[in-house]
Amino acid sequence: MINWRRRGAELFMKILCLASAIAGSLMLFLIIGSVFIGAIPSLTFYFLMTPESATPHIGMGILNAIVGTVMLSVTATLIAIPLALGTAVYLQRYARPGYLVSAIRFFIEVLSGTPSVVLGMFGFLIFVYYMKAVTGGFSLMSGSIALSILIMPVIERAIEDAIMTVDQSLEEGSYALGATKYQTIRGITLPVALSGIMTGIILGFGRAAEESAVVILTAGYTQFMPELAIRANPKFIFGMKIYPAQDLIASLPYAVYHAYENSNVIPLSNGFAAAFVLICVVLVINLAARVVLHLGMNRRRGFPDTGRLVRFFAPRRVDRVVEPIGTSPETQPACPFRELELEQSGNPQISGNKRIYRNQGQKP
Amino acid sequence: MDLREAPKFLFLASAALMALLVLLIFGFITRAAAPVLVKEGFGFVTGSVWDYDTHTYGILVFIAGTLILTAVTMTMVAPIGILTAIYLAEWAPAPVERILRPSIELLVGIPSVVFGLFGFFVLRDYFANTINPTISRILGWIPFFRDVNPGSGTGILLAATILSVMTLPTIVALSQEAIRSVPSDYREASLALGATKWETIRHVILPSAFAGIITSIVLAMMRAIGETMAVVMVLGNLPQVPGSILGEGYAMTSKILNDIAYVLVDPEQLSAIFGIALILFVIEIGMVAFVRAFSAQIGRVWR
Repeated sequence: MINWRRRGAELFMKILCLASAIAGSLMLFLIIGSVFIGAIPSLTFYFLMTPESATPHIGMGILNAIVGTVMLSVTATLIAIPLALGTAVYLQRYARPGYLVSAIRFFIEVLSGTPSVVLGMFGFLIFVYYMKAVTGGFSLMSGSIALSILIMPVIERAIEDAIMTVDQSLEEGSYALGATKYQTIRGITLPVALSGIMTGIILGFGRAAEESAVVILTAGYTQFMPELAIRANPKFIFGMKIYPAQDLIASLPYAVYHAYENSNVIPLSNGFAAAFVLICVVLVINLAARVVLHLGMNRRRGFPDTGRLVRFFAPRRVDRVVEPIGTSPETQPACPFRELELEQSGNPQISGNKRIYRNQGQKP
Repeated sequence: MDLREAPKFLFLASAALMALLVLLIFGFITRAAAPVLVKEGFGFVTGSVWDYDTHTYGILVFIAGTLILTAVTMTMVAPIGILTAIYLAEWAPAPVERILRPSIELLVGIPSVVFGLFGFFVLRDYFANTINPTISRILGWIPFFRDVNPGSGTGILLAATILSVMTLPTIVALSQEAIRSVPSDYREASLALGATKWETIRHVILPSAFAGIITSIVLAMMRAIGETMAVVMVLGNLPQVPGSILGEGYAMTSKILNDIAYVLVDPEQLSAIFGIALILFVIEIGMVAFVRAFSAQIGRVWR
């Protein structure tokens, strides 16, 4: 017998869940659509390709903001990568569980949850105010350092996730060949995790591009394009001001906020156009991150398919690793790592494969 | 020392540097906030008067604004987010999921200043002319739903709507992950006993995924509390405790952003602004600690 009440509840809940899923995903199209419609009157080639300083009224061009956003995000990402990569490798491959590791993890989680306005204030007082002679106050340098603090945990977490998916047996194969830990990480772990690492870096880049509060508090705004120059200026350290690092820099989020604040002078469509360009930039970055990740990952359930990942990214290296020592026809033993080859000729003290030679009864 | 150990210390150094950075930020903000915190004591948190002229700094109004806004946001977004996650994890056929999931996740990529612009110039008129009068007419007999400033669309409800959309992807992604991590044995056992899919979800899956879902809500709350740009644009920035969800308020983040440019010359005022940042930071650290304690039950859920 069919219980209609239970069937009805089932159907009702299914429809309710579907409705909320559709409502949520419609919001994306609603926002992009209405911003685009608002932006149409201003989306001209002139608007996109003219810096604000070259236009007759304020807010008529955004090339300076586009260039500024790209420069800020690139520098912030470049600053953040080394620390994020080092931290992720340490936590995944070197650290042993204990108080130190859980403390570091806690701090990283706090950093990734810090309200951006708090980071912005920190950057504002330290870089803009106290270190004015070095950074030039509101500047590309202050802005990108503050942004790099913001995106560091994003990149770090993505790299950690990527390293976690690396197949253990690959690394064990490398150790079995006598490679040191560092050689294994450089030659096996990081190349295999490359797509995930790139994804993390792209996501960090996108996070830097969309951030507004930090940029407003540390990078400032200018109508002029960034320029490349060094001019004498006694207010700065070494008596010179380096453009564009120590100069004000515009950014798209600030351009949008600017249009909101001055909405009595700037036509509304200009603000929407700047917002639309910003959305496009960030969405393209996000889509790129997805594409890179999906090149190496199984798409269906979001679980990484390490076998496919390895086949895709590291076929050559893996072939060389699994080649048994001694089967190589040359007099030289098979050398799985380029680093080892270099070290063989260079510094004999750190050549990790001494044992391999001994096993073969040869002297290096 | 063995040279082969050298990279280890390099990696350790970068990890330590990152941890030190957080300590530095916290220590610095505490130091900057100290003068006013010492002067005001607990009155800084419990006082409701913020006046630069009389040197009185109490942030109760701003704390109340942030908390009420966050509470309303969570009431709106948590059911929608969890239902969406259930649909995507349990019911959605693969092609449907392939369309719905990315479009919800890509909401993360919309910059907050664009959300603010959208809320202020697109949604505000709609709220002022249609939604707020309707709510006021139907539910106006409850003080909490009374339209206190008819004709202006800005206020708690508009800000909460915007924040709901902003925090939706967090809740959906993490809840979905939590629901997926429930072993399929549980599902199959329940279905084998004759339960319908919804009964399985209601009595088996949701209780198992409870910790993960709570974590996702807390993380979304953190995003809502820390959000600055969109809130500053649509909340109305009226320094009073909002008595109705249609009324205007003033959030802690908005106060910081609006005032910091003007208080730089006076150390005491600057210190008061940093006091707000410190309270925000402390709230956030408390929530991170809560999430850690909770997620210890279900492994890594943080994203």
